[in-house]
Amino acid sequence: MKTKRTIFCVGGDSHASQGSHVMATPNQYIRFWIITMMLVLVGLSTLKLR
Amino acid sequence: MLLELARWLAQDVRGFNVVNYITLRAVLATLTALAISFIVGPGLIRKLTHYKVGQSVRDDGPQTHLVKAGTPTMGGALILVAIGISTLLWADLTNRFVWVVLIVTMGFGIVGMVDDWRKVVHRNPKGLSAKEKYFWQSLLGFGAAFYLWHTATIPAETTLIFPFFKTVTVPLGAASFIVLTYLVIVGSSNAVNLTDGLDGLAILPTVLVASALAIFAYAAGHLYFSKYLGIPYIPGAGELAVFCTAMAGAGLGFLWFNAYPAEVFMGDVGALALGAALGVVAVIVRQEIVLFIMGGVFVMETLSVAAQVTYFKYTKKRYGTGRRIFLMAPLHHHYEQKGWKETQVVVRFWIITMMLVLVGLSTLKLR
Repeated sequence: MKTKRTIFCVGGDSHASQGSHVMATPNQYIRFWIITMMLVLVGLSTLKLR
Repeated sequence: MLLELARWLAQDVRGFNVVNYITLRAVLATLTALAISFIVGPGLIRKLTHYKVGQSVRDDGPQTHLVKAGTPTMGGALILVAIGISTLLWADLTNRFVWVVLIVTMGFGIVGMVDDWRKVVHRNPKGLSAKEKYFWQSLLGFGAAFYLWHTATIPAETTLIFPFFKTVTVPLGAASFIVLTYLVIVGSSNAVNLTDGLDGLAILPTVLVASALAIFAYAAGHLYFSKYLGIPYIPGAGELAVFCTAMAGAGLGFLWFNAYPAEVFMGDVGALALGAALGVVAVIVRQEIVLFIMGGVFVMETLSVAAQVTYFKYTKKRYGTGRRIFLMAPLHHHYEQKGWKETQVVVRFWIITMMLVLVGLSTLKLR
């Protein structure tokens, strides 16, 4: 029976153990780059929107 | 569309006047296009997968690409929908430049869509015949060039300017302006199409160049900034900043799904349209040469194909067997053959584009 839900894993599989061969796929970090770009844009927009 | 609404509402509530600012509308256009991509993207990919609109992989390409066969293509339609809706919502629709750019972009998108359709339905990786493709591209390219020439109201709109030189300008005659405009639009369209061979390779450079062109458009359309920077003042060009940022937002939204390993490819519908859009914006803001610099990756990819084909034909005629300059063309395949991983080629070409865009932007001040 499942008693506990995991919300976030501490460390990805690729970092977890030497035995693991699962790699983070490039689209995972590229998506984080896209989110950062958008946040930078929002940050820059505060220059004008005040 | 929303600009008209805001102006009407501003008669009662002054706060709506803020929508008059191009900068605000540019930011909102980016976010709108991005949101549309995120909302429509997953459904579109499911539909394309369901109807088996899968990419057929060229049989003379790298062997490692055979696993990509069947990945849905024509994802460029998502980009065009996002750009179209966002621009129609946030741009000033009384501006002629906005309509020229939209019509050229959608026109090239339709040419690409027919090409993709033939590739997918007829399972023929070559798609539309070269003659047909160039005919329609030329029609659109010359059409835009004629229109821009005939509606030009000031000499600055038809003068060729050179980066880094404030005083070196060449006023163009009708023929030279039309030919140059045609070459920039059609050349740019095909260059982006040739670059679109690896996951994410074409889209991020397009986003970066479009973002830079948004700055050029804003500056060129601003009386004081254009005077301060020593670039031609083109009344109305500032509105293209809204189109360019919509392009950037739509492109980033598409990259979300196109990053390696790609869930969808843009296909010719996206590549031809985006390249043509960059070309026509560069022509309107009089930055054709700067586009050539900033789109250096697109230029190198195109030159690599031209050099490879020319050298192969020449050596075949002279020595009986064709020889090659690159291990494979376009250039990105050459580096793959040299042992670079696909993601390494893509990210390194992105880095090169970032540097070239910085060089292009520096021409705003260094002149």
